[in-house]
Amino acid sequence: MGLVDINKVTFEYIRRDEDGNVEGITTAVDGVSLSVKQGEFIAILGHNGSGKSTLAKHVNAMLFPTEGTVVVDGLDTSNEDNLLQIRQTAGMVFQNPDNQIIGQVVEEEVGFGPENLGVPTEEILQRVEESLKVLGMYEYRHKSPNRLSGGQKQRVSIASVIAMHPKCIVFDEPTAMLDPKGRFEVIQAARALNDVEKITIILITHYMEEVVNADRVFVMDKGKIAMSGTPREIFSRVSELKELRLTVPQVTELAWELKNKGIPIRDGILTREELTEELKKYISLRKRERI
Amino acid sequence: MLRDITLGQYYQAESPVHRLDPRTKLIITFVYLISLFIFTNPYVFTLAAVFLILVTLLSKVPFKFILKGLKPIGFLLLFTAIMNIFFTDGEVIFSVWKIEATKEGLERAVYMSVRLVFLVFGSNIMTLTTTPTRLTNAMESLMKPLSVVKIPVHEIAMMMSIALRFIPILVDETDKIMKAQLARGADFESGNVIKKTKSLIPVLVPLFISAFRRANDLAMAMEARCYHGGKGRTQMKPLRYAKRDVAAFLISVVYLMAVILIGHYTGSVKL
Repeated sequence: MGLVDINKVTFEYIRRDEDGNVEGITTAVDGVSLSVKQGEFIAILGHNGSGKSTLAKHVNAMLFPTEGTVVVDGLDTSNEDNLLQIRQTAGMVFQNPDNQIIGQVVEEEVGFGPENLGVPTEEILQRVEESLKVLGMYEYRHKSPNRLSGGQKQRVSIASVIAMHPKCIVFDEPTAMLDPKGRFEVIQAARALNDVEKITIILITHYMEEVVNADRVFVMDKGKIAMSGTPREIFSRVSELKELRLTVPQVTELAWELKNKGIPIRDGILTREELTEELKKYISLRKRERI
Repeated sequence: MLRDITLGQYYQAESPVHRLDPRTKLIITFVYLISLFIFTNPYVFTLAAVFLILVTLLSKVPFKFILKGLKPIGFLLLFTAIMNIFFTDGEVIFSVWKIEATKEGLERAVYMSVRLVFLVFGSNIMTLTTTPTRLTNAMESLMKPLSVVKIPVHEIAMMMSIALRFIPILVDETDKIMKAQLARGADFESGNVIKKTKSLIPVLVPLFISAFRRANDLAMAMEARCYHGGKGRTQMKPLRYAKRDVAAFLISVVYLMAVILIGHYTGSVKL
């Protein structure tokens, strides 16, 4: 059994017209099963409307499955008595950096979670300090969140989740509204939390570059899991990804195009270094052939 | 810059007044306001002025800064003064057409104006030396007894502090929407008041929609972080009374006694 067990989960949105009559039912998540082990870094990919965010919101009991069960650290989300415990175990970082900050000062914001949990005052101060230091935001503790950059705001949001001492953090498209620098900061922070603090990370995104370092990748389409495997396995199936309207990292795409033109390069190139290596091999091979 | 807007116009400085517990300041301000209304005579008002000046000096907030805060009440001041001067019965000083200015009226106008100025001046010192957050905390703490009669004190305080947090964001957004509408040829400048107000509708509608969306997101973020009302909640920086608060209370009690004593022996001016 893993830390998060999603078992045949189906979630339906009921669409209503203005009078409240049922217009139709949209199945956002359709019979998905997946299990995340403690300390894993998994990524869920998918284009808009693939159901990835809906699935993510099941993990910390923001949404409840229409069918199936979600069990987090041995607690079933359908039991209302477990809610607070589950939300503490599985924290969540949302997309819009402005709309998830409650405090008027960075420090207050980070203290909000522990305050809700009823942590004693001295320990709150200690937790706030610790988590701000982990995210490198300690020197900004007295600033107003309005004065921070997008990336910094997201780091504060991550610190606020860390202050609740979660075992798992769900990142729901945390970089969608950030500039490249902010994106780098946030992804770097997520990786560091996974490596150093051993916190389980579930990253929801549609940026392929961000999933390269994940342990496992799931690709969602129309509420179902369309592909799953290691990043290398996933990225060697470029044409399938293209069908799912996902763009692969530039290097992977270049390698794939070259291969289609008849240059022997192995599948699933993830980094620039790997491609350089492959091309060097190919060039020296050609030279030898000429001699 | 719009980002720098601070509500409640906090003036940052290191002073004994800044360091006081916000509840102390709130209560003392209240006591001061009451002291202005018990008696109406020049001696009491002089004492009130001295008290105000001493507190201001202690707070290190420049007088200029506080006087700026009096600007918005300028019109109100003028209006009440004129009303008092011309519509009080008594000894006529001069008359304009059928309206007569009276000596009693003039006296009353002076007292009312001084009282109003002191009132706003006094509460300005409080808001200038206390951050909005601490003020909200103080109100929550002072109103706690009201929760016995089912008044949602914690929720009100939470709403206030969230409103304070989102005001700069919404101001920023208003600016953005206005620019977007200007780019589409909207005209906010010309026309009379009615036309100008009407032209704001294309700004307000998107603003409201976005505010609701933000509220929805924020509610979800709060729930995700285990917010479940004031029950079982602890505070990161709970308010604690210190020795200086006791001293401040003593001073204000002495002041109030002095006001009552002086007022008792000199009596109120008949108006």
